[in-house]
Amino acid sequence: MDKQFITRGVKRCSSGKFLLWILPWVAMLIFGLYSAGLCLVKGLNQTNMDNRFAFGLWIFLDLTVIALGAGAFFTGFLLYILKMKELRAVINSAVVIGVVCYSGAMCALAVDVGQPLRFWFTFWYPNVHSMLTEVTFCITCYLTVLMIEYLPIVLKNRKLRDVPEFLVFEHELHKLIYVLAGVGTFLSFFHQGSLGGLYGVLRGRPFAFREGLAIWPSTFFLFILSAAAVGPSFVLLTSWLVQTISKKRLVKPEAMQMLGRISGLLLAVYVLLKTIDTLVWINRTSPGNGFPAAQYYAWHPFGTWILFTEIALLGMVPALILLTPKLRARTGWLVSAAAMACCGVALNRFVQTVQTLAVPTLSFDKFMTYTPSWQEVGTFLAVLAYGVLVYSFSFRYFQLFPDERELKLEVARVEEEPALVGRY
Amino acid sequence: MLPWNYGFHWTAGTMIFMGAFYTVVVIVASTLFSAALRSRRALRGRQTERIRWAEDFHDLPARDRQCRHVLTGEFGYRECPHAFDCRQCETHSHLVARRPPDQASEPEEDIFGMAFPLDRVYHRGHTWVHSEPDGTVTVGLDDLGRRLLGEPDRVDLPQPGGRVSVNGTAWHAHKRNADVRILSPVDGEIVATGGPDAPWYLKIRPDRMDFRNLLGGHEIRPWVMREMERLQLALSAEGAAPTLADGGVPVQDIAAVYPQADWDAVCGEMFLEA
Repeated sequence: MDKQFITRGVKRCSSGKFLLWILPWVAMLIFGLYSAGLCLVKGLNQTNMDNRFAFGLWIFLDLTVIALGAGAFFTGFLLYILKMKELRAVINSAVVIGVVCYSGAMCALAVDVGQPLRFWFTFWYPNVHSMLTEVTFCITCYLTVLMIEYLPIVLKNRKLRDVPEFLVFEHELHKLIYVLAGVGTFLSFFHQGSLGGLYGVLRGRPFAFREGLAIWPSTFFLFILSAAAVGPSFVLLTSWLVQTISKKRLVKPEAMQMLGRISGLLLAVYVLLKTIDTLVWINRTSPGNGFPAAQYYAWHPFGTWILFTEIALLGMVPALILLTPKLRARTGWLVSAAAMACCGVALNRFVQTVQTLAVPTLSFDKFMTYTPSWQEVGTFLAVLAYGVLVYSFSFRYFQLFPDERELKLEVARVEEEPALVGRY
Repeated sequence: MLPWNYGFHWTAGTMIFMGAFYTVVVIVASTLFSAALRSRRALRGRQTERIRWAEDFHDLPARDRQCRHVLTGEFGYRECPHAFDCRQCETHSHLVARRPPDQASEPEEDIFGMAFPLDRVYHRGHTWVHSEPDGTVTVGLDDLGRRLLGEPDRVDLPQPGGRVSVNGTAWHAHKRNADVRILSPVDGEIVATGGPDAPWYLKIRPDRMDFRNLLGGHEIRPWVMREMERLQLALSAEGAAPTLADGGVPVQDIAAVYPQADWDAVCGEMFLEA
């Protein structure tokens, strides 16, 4: 039915099958939109957050998806600025992931901030003392850049490129894409950093407070590095997932391994710096503020296991796997390591958001617990469903993996090899 | 923070932040504006066909972008840097100067039962060009291209008086689910149109009698052999098993014997369309 919109030479499932695939996600999105609607109309009393526990599931979600979405800027940087041509195979997919992650995060933030009719206040009356101001400006700008980067992918659709204006504009815009890649990298560095800096400057929360360089706490740099490290891992993981679900070869193993190697290298540097940062914090920063670091881990379930899991199990281990050529060459190890790296950064964002607020600071404080309300979970699920839907439609109608056609012919070549030998 | 806010005052931090923010806004806006401007210029300059081919060529698998001198064994591997327009290629000129094309001893090449007359030159998108005594050229589909389309369901030919450009659209052919554009081998003005039942599709008055971008003589056999291999792979990839029987020749209407194959994909592959 929709064959004329699908890229020539690639196979996609029937419209009926596709409808069956998207139906549950649409249902989830509707439920999520209802939840988000309740929060927007009735206010944040619909959530289990309060003045003390002001950051919850949504901020954890925001920080995680923005870190995972870093694959878009970092892959763009590697391809268009450093000219790593192998990454052309995944750049379109990385851009879609970026669009999904950043727009999803913006939507969740809009619900979290509330007062949708006053969304423009943050731009018109920005607070000079808030790192969130930089985050808001940078994310808005970067989402705009991502949307412009997404535009050529959309305009390259088989039917749309029949319109000469679209074809020519796509071609000309693509020629200038390196400018956007450069701007995207600049913006991403700053907003990833500012999101980290947001926690590092919390003097009233010694669990999160960090020393640093000039006005930037160490978390500023650690957030940039961790996002750059897991971005390629998430692109790798997504590509593998799409390959598995669609039962097609989409990306050459060399490109996957290159993503893994880059991710492993950056992850290793991140783990090293994170370890140094943690040691400085345990031995200097926290005691200097009158808080022995051990006390933060006395509150269960946040024992020292969480620190070990974050740095060693989900940091050092995947870094070593990704840096070992023999292990990297095996899909099982490669994908598992990428998944572990992504979980590691998600855990880091969870710790920064939830553990920071949960542990007591003052002597009369209590250990706080928080469970998200169903409205919060619903909004979270809406972002997830939205992401899956945008990616599914993009995969069906746009050319997300430029090597797909070539790889299909490669499979045919392997099958036909005996018949071709000596014949032509 | 911003000049229109209450209590605003200029500080170094404000200037850095605003400077960076507005620089980004200006860069993004001028990139968009520049792309729009260049598009307008390209559209006015009738560059659409050139751009369409540039895009299609870019999207071809690397194996299909091979230089013609790879076909003849002069290079082991070389991707064409000029999108099959050898008129711009210095390497091609050097190689031709070093080894001028052989004079054909036979009037035509018979390859797997297909006739490729050597009195004409061939485009890699399966069209040929034949020079006529009146200074025009005729353009038609080569034997493999003809067998791929068999009896086309419909052919959309351009109007006489119109123009075609090298690697731009010459005409459209429809066969089963396939809607393919056939690439023009020459630049020029269309003088007359023929069709599937005529000996040629287009009669063109070329801008220049420069056919350096087209294949001829000793290049035909290795090229057609490569095309047959590509066809077999395309058929196999589109689920058209069983493959061509060894020793056989392509039938007159290949599409008819592969009713289950996605003919649009096969034709796109063979006629170099993304």
